Amino acid sequence: MLTRISRFGLTLPRLLYNPPARFVSQSKANSATGSTAMTELHPEVQHSGHGEVSPYVKNPDYHGFSSDPVEDEWNMKVGFFFGISVALVIGGTFIHYLPDHGMRQWARREAERLIQQREADGVPLIEENYYDTNKIILPTAGGQ
Amino acid sequence: MLKILLPTIMLVPTIWITPAKHLWSTTLSYSLIISLISLTWLKSSTESGWSFLSPYMATDPLSTPLLALTCWLLPLMILASQNHTASEPISRQRTYITLLTSLQIFLIMAFSATEVIMFYIMFEATLIPTLIIITRWGNQTERLNAGTYFLFYTLAGSLPLLVALLLLQNSTGTLSLLTLQYTPSMQLSSFADKLWWAGCLLAFLVKMPLYGAHLWLPKAHVEAPIAGSMVLAAVLLKLGGYGMMRMMIMLEPLTKELSYPFIIFALWGVIMTGSICLRQTDLKSLIAYSSVSHMGLVAAGILIQTPWGFTGALILMIAHGLTSSALFCLANTNYERTHSRTMILARGLQMVLPLMTAWWFIASLANLALPPLPNLMGELMIITSLFHWSWWTIALTGAGTLITAGYSLYMFLMTQRGPLPTHIISLDPTHSREHLLMALHLLPLILLIPKPELIWGWTA
Repeated sequence: MLTRISRFGLTLPRLLYNPPARFVSQSKANSATGSTAMTELHPEVQHSGHGEVSPYVKNPDYHGFSSDPVEDEWNMKVGFFFGISVALVIGGTFIHYLPDHGMRQWARREAERLIQQREADGVPLIEENYYDTNKIILPTAGGQ
Repeated sequence: MLKILLPTIMLVPTIWITPAKHLWSTTLSYSLIISLISLTWLKSSTESGWSFLSPYMATDPLSTPLLALTCWLLPLMILASQNHTASEPISRQRTYITLLTSLQIFLIMAFSATEVIMFYIMFEATLIPTLIIITRWGNQTERLNAGTYFLFYTLAGSLPLLVALLLLQNSTGTLSLLTLQYTPSMQLSSFADKLWWAGCLLAFLVKMPLYGAHLWLPKAHVEAPIAGSMVLAAVLLKLGGYGMMRMMIMLEPLTKELSYPFIIFALWGVIMTGSICLRQTDLKSLIAYSSVSHMGLVAAGILIQTPWGFTGALILMIAHGLTSSALFCLANTNYERTHSRTMILARGLQMVLPLMTAWWFIASLANLALPPLPNLMGELMIITSLFHWSWWTIALTGAGTLITAGYSLYMFLMTQRGPLPTHIISLDPTHSREHLLMALHLLPLILLIPKPELIWGWTA
């Protein structure tokens, strides 16, 4: 009986050996380039029941979109293009060049220009009789 | 109006026929294009205020910013939910996006309705997808309790509104906002009239929520998945403020005396909920209470009924919509890594996620109303108009802003600074998706600084 089990002695370690998820060359980096392979930082957890497998094991360029590397990158590009380049840039340009509603900005500029001109001329900023008094028809005291 | 509504409705079949692999990228780009087109609403060419007029729908300067915010939020919600729904079956992911889309459809119809009763129906219709999102996709079992609170607070508040609206229809013969704003103010004197006044506003005060009727909000926020929290904070609360502004113009003579207790409640709530934030341990609950505090200021600004109060309320609503949604997203990035909302368990994250700390910093500063941001503009306008009404309010609003700054800094320091707890041994790095999400929240907020007239409302 025991001899039969002992025969597994050599094969068992080989069966339990799991190859790494990606065969990244893990030779020691030479002095200056001290970069670590992603698989060393995030080792794949093989038998943890709670599904906490780092997506970086499968895809070192993981962007947080999808577990499929191709779709992940595609989704990232689409998101940045439509979010930043289209919605914010084109949308922002559209809003910047919206027409001056109610001519409010024009009125402000015109007022500033008038004030400067009147101050330079030394005249009051606004006439006491803003409307021409000759043109205003007032009702007479008698009523008719 | 239909140029936005029809594409949004057609997003639903798109969700269901897109190949599973491209589901998220398709819906994301589709909804971003919709939100780009929605910006054309901001071009108002009429002098009467109402643009894009059709028999049932129209936009005016009050509803346009809220509509644009609604359309902007759907892509953000899609972006935010991508990670936590990834482990679910594909049909459930499709159902989830369909629910979010249906929420946008209802919200567009609510904000653009010209008939008050249609606004009411859409106001109620938004409850259904939100309830399903909270009770089906929430994380803890307490979500069922939170769903009950959410549903019954809002329903109990809004049933009197239905009766009040039917009475209004009986007396004026119309519920169209286009004509109601020109009807002469009604002679309201009896006790029943005062009840009618309360009925008209109660639904919105509960939805805002006013301090005292706010208990459903922290529960719903804490238990909802990220997209639920985002849309609740960013748009659904604003439905209350929007409804209040719409009803206010009809309640004119009574509001002057009847609004006292509600203004006091709102301002007292600013202080109380701010103080609750200061001793909060739960990150999402803190952000939820800070929403109650900010919306208290909005409620007071609306009840004061001055042009500045209205403008400040609208500015603060838009700014707070983007800010609090951003904060919920940040809280969710923490939650997805540590699986806990407790702040004390995830401190010192600046050591491991430094770029995320930059986003936390900007979002916290936006929450405490840093000077050039629209948040400050809104708060200042409301505080000024309240101060003009009564000097005593400065004690409440001033203390409120102080406490707001206090708890925003507390939240930032608690989550980002200090040593990393020893139990945190491995955290995922930040994803490009999360940075995109934060940029899409905070860049519009910053872009609004040089163009505030977009969110000025009626005074613009």
